[in-house]
Amino acid sequence: MKTILQIALGVIAAIGGFVDIGDLVFNAQAGSSVGTPALWAVPVGVVGIMIFAEMSGRIVAVSKKPNFVLVKERYGRNLSTFTLVASLVLTVLTLSAELGGLGFVLNYFFDVSVSFFVLAALFAVAAAIYFLPFGGLERVFGYLGLALLVYIAASLKLDPDWGEIGRGFVPESHSAAVYWYFVVGLIAAALMPYEIYFYSSGAVEEGWDRSDMKVNRANAFVGFGLGGLISVGILVASAQVFKPAGISPTSIGSVALIAQQPYAELGLVLALIGILFAVGGATIDTAFSAAYNLAQHQGWKWGKRFKLLDEPRFTLSLAGFLLAGFAIAETGVDPIELTEYAVIFSIPVIPLTYLPILLVGNDRNVMGEYVNGPLARVMGWAYFGLICVLALAAPVLFVATNGGG
Amino acid sequence: MRHRLGTFVVLAVSAAPFVGCGGAITPDELSRSIGTLESTAAEGALLAKDVARDRTKATFARVHARDLSDVVDHEAEKLNDAQADRSDVAAAKSDAIDLADRIGTALGQIQTAPGDERGGRTAEQALNRLSEDAGKLADGL
Repeated sequence: MKTILQIALGVIAAIGGFVDIGDLVFNAQAGSSVGTPALWAVPVGVVGIMIFAEMSGRIVAVSKKPNFVLVKERYGRNLSTFTLVASLVLTVLTLSAELGGLGFVLNYFFDVSVSFFVLAALFAVAAAIYFLPFGGLERVFGYLGLALLVYIAASLKLDPDWGEIGRGFVPESHSAAVYWYFVVGLIAAALMPYEIYFYSSGAVEEGWDRSDMKVNRANAFVGFGLGGLISVGILVASAQVFKPAGISPTSIGSVALIAQQPYAELGLVLALIGILFAVGGATIDTAFSAAYNLAQHQGWKWGKRFKLLDEPRFTLSLAGFLLAGFAIAETGVDPIELTEYAVIFSIPVIPLTYLPILLVGNDRNVMGEYVNGPLARVMGWAYFGLICVLALAAPVLFVATNGGG
Repeated sequence: MRHRLGTFVVLAVSAAPFVGCGGAITPDELSRSIGTLESTAAEGALLAKDVARDRTKATFARVHARDLSDVVDHEAEKLNDAQADRSDVAAAKSDAIDLADRIGTALGQIQTAPGDERGGRTAEQALNRLSEDAGKLADGL
């Protein structure tokens, strides 16, 4: 039981990271558009985030340094400021999309107005941040977000072609740009920069030290593994429900509709609850990531482990980012489109986010006996190479496919 | 230089959705637009089927039908504002606007009475038919 409670950080980072509002729709679009042949991209992305999350958690356990402190130390002033500004812009865009998404989901339950529920969501998230301890935030949003497991059950109940699913996990050569657009997007969705900023800062919040190496591994592997399973579930179920009917999902309601097919109203309600808490978790991930990054770059005292009123600059920046996200969401911008742009624009920032983790993880002077072993080193550099390729390919594929359309 | 290149990529990607605004609609653009109508009608039919079988929440059915209806309205507005150079494209564009109107009406039935199972059945049949019509129209381009 204790272990289950201890993997909350990995769960919230994962479901808030790559099962957020945009990715839910993106996974469903991938299923309806290219179907199960794109499945292999999910484990590729998930293994990548597992490797880097485990590495960043280990770095925190040894050095007590979260990711943006590494960015600052390794890059110097100009490049770290560029990384900060780029990551803040992207994170706040994503935050506003999540708040907008919460408005949409709540409106499916009560049908008042999206705008009203965006405001209600802002108050609810602010109250949760203020009143709940860090561990409580992780558990409430992480574990209730696991209602999204309904998509795994749905994908099984819809009686898929197992041979086809098995073949989907084997990469194949493909000439269609749309196929590669979804493959790149699925891999990139698992590697969103704010996940790793939140994960490493969360490890500091939880006070991890050298005795927490097992907890770190459990969080990285089980938490992100669960997120990956949900991604697979949505993609497979969408390929079963939407692809044969020629439906291209465009909204979060379409994603909820998938779970309604095998389980009627119960499936719908579970899906909506899961989406609500996953998107709520993503709102918290992004708001904290933005405030963590700014505070760590500026050298301020930061963290939920202290009283928020004792660290006014961190608290004000957290509130400021939430309000900025709210203001953008209230313009009525489509949250799905916003996250699509955020994912694509985030890809060039991904290499800048992950390189310092790899450099420090490989540095025996910092890590001592916990330095990366040969496997972590090889996999780390291989994934870093892949991330650089994605950074170049993503904008080109976005333009070439008209956003996968 | 690298920063300038980065800025260029960002600007280029940001501008991408607006490329193509103005000027006459191409058969490819029209086909994409009709594809959206076909997909929306099919999704509406799926929703209507669940209304007909009492397998959904009324508030969800109403709100989602409204969302789908907004997609169709937006597509109809885009088609209405677009100019067509060729007569065959102009005729298909006109048919697509008419289809959008009928899809919107069928979705409106779910929106108005999300608990009406008989109405759900009628809307399901209508939307399935309209989705097929949209498919045929796109194939003809």
